Amino acid sequence: MSDKNSSSLLVIILDTNPIWWGQTNSKSGANTCLSTCLNSVMVFANSHLMFSHSNKLAVIAAHTNKSCFLYPLPKEPVPIDPAVDTENEAEENSVKVPQIGQNDGKYELFAQFNETIKSEIQNLIFNDKLEGELYSDSLIAGAMSMALCYIHRMEKEASVGEDVSSRILVIKGSEDNAAQYMNFMNAVFTAQKQNVVIDACILDNDSGLLQQACDITGGMYLKVPQMSGLLQYLLWVFLPDPVMRCKLTLPPKAQVDYRAACFCHRNLIDIGYVCSVCLSIYCSFSPICSTCQTTFKFMGPPKILKKKSKRLAS
Amino acid sequence: MAASFTPRKLDCKDLHSYLKTLPGPVLDRLYNHPATCLAVFRELPDLARQYVMRNLFIEQPVSQAVIGQWVVNKFTNEHKYACKALSELRVWYEQPIPGGQPGWILNQTFRNNTKVALLGGGSPWIGGRSTTVDKYAKDIPFLDKYGQDRWECVLHFMVGSSEGSEGVSRDIIEVLNNSGLMKVDATDSNPLITPAGFQFLLMDTQSQVWYFMLQYLETVEHRGMDLVECLSFLFQLSFSTLGQDYSTDGMSESQLKFLQHLREFGLVYQRKRKSQRYYPTCLAINLASGLSGVSSDQEKVGFIIVETNYRIYAYTDSPLKIALLAIFCDMLYRFPTMTVCNLSRTSVREALIRGITAEQILNFLRSHAHPKMLATAPVLPPTITDQVRLWELERDRLKFDDGVLYSQFNSQSDYELLSDYAKDLGVLVFENASKRVMVVTRSGHDDVKKFWKRQKNS
Repeated sequence: MSDKNSSSLLVIILDTNPIWWGQTNSKSGANTCLSTCLNSVMVFANSHLMFSHSNKLAVIAAHTNKSCFLYPLPKEPVPIDPAVDTENEAEENSVKVPQIGQNDGKYELFAQFNETIKSEIQNLIFNDKLEGELYSDSLIAGAMSMALCYIHRMEKEASVGEDVSSRILVIKGSEDNAAQYMNFMNAVFTAQKQNVVIDACILDNDSGLLQQACDITGGMYLKVPQMSGLLQYLLWVFLPDPVMRCKLTLPPKAQVDYRAACFCHRNLIDIGYVCSVCLSIYCSFSPICSTCQTTFKFMGPPKILKKKSKRLAS
Repeated sequence: MAASFTPRKLDCKDLHSYLKTLPGPVLDRLYNHPATCLAVFRELPDLARQYVMRNLFIEQPVSQAVIGQWVVNKFTNEHKYACKALSELRVWYEQPIPGGQPGWILNQTFRNNTKVALLGGGSPWIGGRSTTVDKYAKDIPFLDKYGQDRWECVLHFMVGSSEGSEGVSRDIIEVLNNSGLMKVDATDSNPLITPAGFQFLLMDTQSQVWYFMLQYLETVEHRGMDLVECLSFLFQLSFSTLGQDYSTDGMSESQLKFLQHLREFGLVYQRKRKSQRYYPTCLAINLASGLSGVSSDQEKVGFIIVETNYRIYAYTDSPLKIALLAIFCDMLYRFPTMTVCNLSRTSVREALIRGITAEQILNFLRSHAHPKMLATAPVLPPTITDQVRLWELERDRLKFDDGVLYSQFNSQSDYELLSDYAKDLGVLVFENASKRVMVVTRSGHDDVKKFWKRQKNS
């Protein structure tokens, strides 16, 4: 076939925010609950694996207070990863993958993968202590960083002459959090440098951040009009890899909201103040840049304008 | 004049072209197993795979015009190619949509079984995982070694080296004979290797196994086994997990027989003939992945160093590998772990005469190159690759054409009359006026003969 020695790595980031899923479930009934969504995602993931034997897959859950890998599970019982330090992680990792007796006609690999996902999701939900404050947003930026690290590792581990093309698919329902703006954008630009395409499948709230991410990395952004058709949307739009996409007619790119969030209040703004040293953005003038501690000696712009107008008048 | 000698090029069909040769009803029956659907799906062109996925959950015919619009105009050719592949393999067929326009609908059996593979449900695959723990469980390195050893036995037998070839059964010999890789000489009871066999030896392991299995499948029906059952079992094997044991429960008589044959080839490991469990080896598992051309013997480390002075150092003690090298090299020295040989014009020509191509020789050297060699930019020195190709071209300097010789003319005028006539027709190949000899092409012979008879009679 056309791509002889190339494999495609797909990292799916699934939003598992309990608040958002709970709300939508009570609002629109059983049509949209995490389990139906999960089923669609698993079929989609199976199809990706089915495409070629060299295709690889990883699934990361972006929860409200942490992100964790659902698949594949780390082989070592204790991962040497300073970023993940909760006790939960260690417990989860020690759980052995249950031996799956093949009981129907599903391809063994798929069955194994689906069982792993299901049990990991279960772990995640039941072990979720939900202590402290609950947030209505998920740690997408953190999950994306994990995905990028994983992709980097897989590309390094790939055998000589093997060409790994990677992409990230974010399936997200909860709202954007402007507090993640910095981390999110850093992850996006890293992805752009690494030639990783970011796709976004939006279940509910349009996300300005992800629109930018998809636009920058050349991915697809799609807000699913109907949740019941989620699987078909996934199969049609997100299954083709970037090389295939240029051959297919796909939905046109939407208008991108390119507003940035200010560093002081995390509001999305059209016009703001930019520090001339570190390019931090502020919605109101401050004499000392909070990011790089530069002091601005001169007075704010309104005064300068006044002087100018006076001189003009005289 | 002598007829030209063209060496038969060994063509190794891929799965697609093999399946195309099967009749439609057989294909339909093949699709009754999820594993075959998976294997066929992966062999389809990229676009065709997208079409299948998009149509998988649409239970009615889709208009051809609509499917045509899925692709950007620039890639219409690829679209046609994909559609052709899908129709050839009967993955979909034409059916008019309600409005009367032509449409395509996925083959129902294919659709159902792909869904089973993807979503689950349906009946379990035959000979599923065994439920009990094996006392004599085998690990992956053991299986790797076992598979390779078995396969090398077959190759040993082909090159005629005595080592390990006693394990080769009558069935294997039969397949080798049928496929034309070896032939039985009237004088000798042992079969001898043919030119095709030499080409076979220089292929990489996965292509060898696949070629061998294709040849084997051709003989399957004579043995009273069902082709479809065997093929589906083969595909199922290639989708199983290495190092996992599977049970033989629920397998049909002909499948059990097939399993025994596979055991002989080294595609599965079974501790005893009557054992209730089997392990697929890497040979079987690589079968499906090797089909799509991603084949490379990753697990094996290369051993050959080629120098620009045509010298080849082979760091190996395997008599098989040395025998393979000896096909196209002059052996110089042999040490316990290393062999030195020379690539010379005569040795390469000998190989070329046997029907091996220069490309096959170079490919063999390249795929078994020592890691140190792999680090250099062209793996083989360009002087070597060029020279081997030149030696091949050398053999193509003469072009042979059939012709008829006219000689012993009675007079110069007769000779000139005939040669002029032949020249006018444009069929004269050679003439020598002083010896009154001329050669015309075979197609022109009839005309010239008629003309000469008319001249003589008049």
